[in-house]
Amino acid sequence: MVSGRSLEAATALITGVFGAAVVVSSLDNGIGWSAAGVESGTFPFIVGLVILAGSVFNLVQGWLHARVVVLGPAELRRLAILFVPAAIFVGVIPLIGMYPASAFYVFGALAWHKRGSLLLAAVAAIGAAVALYLIFELTFQVSLPRGALGTLLGF
Amino acid sequence: MENLEALMHGFGIALSGNHIFLMLIGVLLGILVGVLPGLGAPNGVSLLLPLTFGMQPVSAIILLSSMYWGALFGGSVTSILFNIPGEPSSVATTFDGYPMARDGRPSTALATAFGSAAFGALAGVVLITLSASWVAQVALAFGPPEYFAVYFLAFASFVGMGGSPPVKTLVSLAIGFALAAVGIDTVSGSVRLTMGIDEMVKGVSFVVAVMGLFGIGELLIAVEEEFHVKAISSKVEWREVFRTLAGLPRYGWALLRSAAIGCWMGITPGGPTAASFMSYGIAKRLSPRHANFGKGEPEGIVAPEAADHAAGTSALLPMLSLGIPGSATAAVMMGGLMIWGLNPGPMLFVEQKDFVWGLIASMYLGNVVAVVLVLLTVPIFAALMRVPFFIIAPVIVIICTVGAYSVSNSYLDVMLMMGFGVLGYLFKKLHYPLAPLVLAIVIGDKAEDAFRQSMLMSKGSLGIFFAKPLVTTLILLGAALLLMPTIWRTIGRMMPRPEARP
Amino acid sequence: MSRKPTFAAIAFGLAIGFAGAAHAAWQPAKPIEFIATAGPGGGTDNFARAVQNIITKYKLVDQPIVVVNKAGGSGAEGYTYAKAMAADPYKVVFGTSNAWSQPLVSKVAYNYTDLTPIAAMVQDEFLLWVKQDAPYQNVQDFLKAVAAKGPGDFKMGGAQSKDTDETLTRLIDKAAKVKFVYIPFKSGAEAAVQLAGGHIDAHVNNPSESIGQWKGSTQRPLCAFSPQRLPDGPKVTATQNWHDIPTCVESGLAIPQFQQPRTVWLPGKVTADQAAFYVDLMKKVQATPEWKEYIERTSQTDTFLTGDSFSKFIKEDIERTRKVAVDEGWLISN
Repeated sequence: MVSGRSLEAATALITGVFGAAVVVSSLDNGIGWSAAGVESGTFPFIVGLVILAGSVFNLVQGWLHARVVVLGPAELRRLAILFVPAAIFVGVIPLIGMYPASAFYVFGALAWHKRGSLLLAAVAAIGAAVALYLIFELTFQVSLPRGALGTLLGF
Repeated sequence: MENLEALMHGFGIALSGNHIFLMLIGVLLGILVGVLPGLGAPNGVSLLLPLTFGMQPVSAIILLSSMYWGALFGGSVTSILFNIPGEPSSVATTFDGYPMARDGRPSTALATAFGSAAFGALAGVVLITLSASWVAQVALAFGPPEYFAVYFLAFASFVGMGGSPPVKTLVSLAIGFALAAVGIDTVSGSVRLTMGIDEMVKGVSFVVAVMGLFGIGELLIAVEEEFHVKAISSKVEWREVFRTLAGLPRYGWALLRSAAIGCWMGITPGGPTAASFMSYGIAKRLSPRHANFGKGEPEGIVAPEAADHAAGTSALLPMLSLGIPGSATAAVMMGGLMIWGLNPGPMLFVEQKDFVWGLIASMYLGNVVAVVLVLLTVPIFAALMRVPFFIIAPVIVIICTVGAYSVSNSYLDVMLMMGFGVLGYLFKKLHYPLAPLVLAIVIGDKAEDAFRQSMLMSKGSLGIFFAKPLVTTLILLGAALLLMPTIWRTIGRMMPRPEARP
Repeated sequence: MSRKPTFAAIAFGLAIGFAGAAHAAWQPAKPIEFIATAGPGGGTDNFARAVQNIITKYKLVDQPIVVVNKAGGSGAEGYTYAKAMAADPYKVVFGTSNAWSQPLVSKVAYNYTDLTPIAAMVQDEFLLWVKQDAPYQNVQDFLKAVAAKGPGDFKMGGAQSKDTDETLTRLIDKAAKVKFVYIPFKSGAEAAVQLAGGHIDAHVNNPSESIGQWKGSTQRPLCAFSPQRLPDGPKVTATQNWHDIPTCVESGLAIPQFQQPRTVWLPGKVTADQAAFYVDLMKKVQATPEWKEYIERTSQTDTFLTGDSFSKFIKEDIERTRKVAVDEGWLISN
């Protein structure tokens, strides 16, 4: 179970760390005025400080005010059902390539929900991969990643 | 009236069977690339470019510009149906278009968008027709300080309109600015904020950010809140389309205002994205139904769409007459002009009358063809909303992945996109506004460049922003827009309210 | 639109036949990716697409060719990508001199030594441009006007920062003992419009970036940074063509030569056979009438540097750029 408090805190931490990274990184570029005008780090530096200060404010604010549970077990489960397969799909692209990954993903999603036969799911999966190939590879000349598997097969 | 004569001559050129056929092909292909996020009009146009080498320049530009119109229309489709804006300029369309579609009225949302877009485009072409020769001169008045003032105006009209907690708005805006700064800085040539990842030198692409923040983020919200799209009305969709179109004149004032904002931003360097945001922001402030914005208010679709298309259309004018492309697509077309042996510049209107007026006439015809075609597709697109969620969800994930990848054939972008997806979910859940972040990604670095260029010119004096009447007016206008909500609130507090409406 | 095969084309076809037979050592077996290190519509993009079209038209390669734009980071995106694709002979990078000059002044993640040089095929020229109604008619008057004003009051615009345009500006500074303030814009086309609007005082655009503006009488060239005058050709304005513009040396600005090569690269670690295949391919491209047309249309100068002559050219250019970079304090330690 996740409370609004921890969700606010987590988000504020993410933005805060990003802000801090921006501040540190912009110091490398130099801040202030030089012979070449406003130095390139100046603007990111200010922006980074704003993010950092805002994040601290949001952290405190969130900690004080948002105590209600916002994500119960049911919500978390539903989020996981969508996000985990999507993350796996993205994760395996470098290994097996975009086409097989999409096909497996579509097949998995249809099979999981158990509507229609497995044959239908398989047809839809292959159809998805073929459609991607026709639209991107053939029509618009965008070559999608083949992955390690593709390299192995010389595709 | 000399221009009208020339236009009639142009119609004579554009109205041949061959050219109408090219328009059809161009528009259809354009709709396709517009609908597929990540592809977009610039890709489509650069792919068609080699095919045009053997053509007459006027036929070639008709094909390419028709594709551009198609893509502009198509870009709104995914914004409305799935909250995935395919082009930067259709982000503002998601604010009310998506809620309306989710509410079971996708046909109404699409028809409203297409209808107002067509009006905006028409306003843009009329402007070009009537004032082609001198409007271009307006753009010449814009140096770096004026550029900065225009961007400032766009921010001022959009940011600062309430709803979200102010600190969260500020953080969101600042993150957008930081993301816009990643990569090589134009003014100093140095590498910024790559955080040790070599590939980040290319910067954070808008499409990648938006597909994660809007597409994946919204998907996560939808699944978590167990959101079910309301059943689509069983009414005959065609009747709904016509009823919507017939009802558009009710928003006459909003249409005119948005088209005017669009034309202005298209000719000055603001561009379609800034135009659509600005128009939305102003509509929200001025509309009597402003409380309804963000929940499926038709005026919230009318304003960005009319402005976007008016700007997209009028942006072709600076391209032809000055050789500055007003948009990425215009840049590709300009490359085409050179390959066909034409030099964009002030003389094009004098030396290549057939080409220029053929093109302008084809803008009228091409937009008519485009709007008819997209309206025909409304029932098909609306039917997509009936596809069950468990099928559409993986399709959206795949589309966003492929879209993010195809921006620059990079797997890093796919990972970034997923990261943005999680961030988008958290932001939406915790009421951080996403729009300021997106606006800052799109025009943040341009505003910064313009500011620093101005500082170089003035040797560090801010006085340059008050040195000429044009730039001073723009800056003061922006400041007024920024302060307006505060002022109104103060006035409202001091004066007793005549009517208290919930 | 069919054209009758000209004699040149037929002779050329025969030449390919022979050349093809002579170099059968390595042949591509899958689609080839052309990486343009500039956005669609830019000079480098046009270059890559011109080569692609010629290859496709004459079927010089059996495999399809796709042009991909990797313009991020002033081209660094494309070069960094190529570095990561080491030993892959199906990625061909199209760029300019920034392949070796950018790593001198920016902390980018590649160096030109990470790539395999194939050839420099074109030299783009530079000219000094001023606004049409500016009071000065020649370089001498112009430089006097610059010197008369305080340092930093005369605004020179250009594309990008610490790249060719700014380097050339600093060379002019030195040669004429003046000091411009340099305002970087995204592209030469943008600088041209800024000049037309009178927001800057001069720029050093390539011919193709400003020809439309010259035709339209918003700006005019004062001199060309080339060893001899640009080739004769059709009139650009009512009275002048490129050949009528004096060289800068002729008009008393001692910068004899400043050009921007358009270059072709493969990723590092490819075999000699593979590199030879592309050198040969580019030679064939250069022999076509379409190539001549491309050169004329863009008012560039034809050249072909490969192997040792290319390496020598790179070394000389690095020396010159480094000198400017050291004086200006741009040099970074990588």
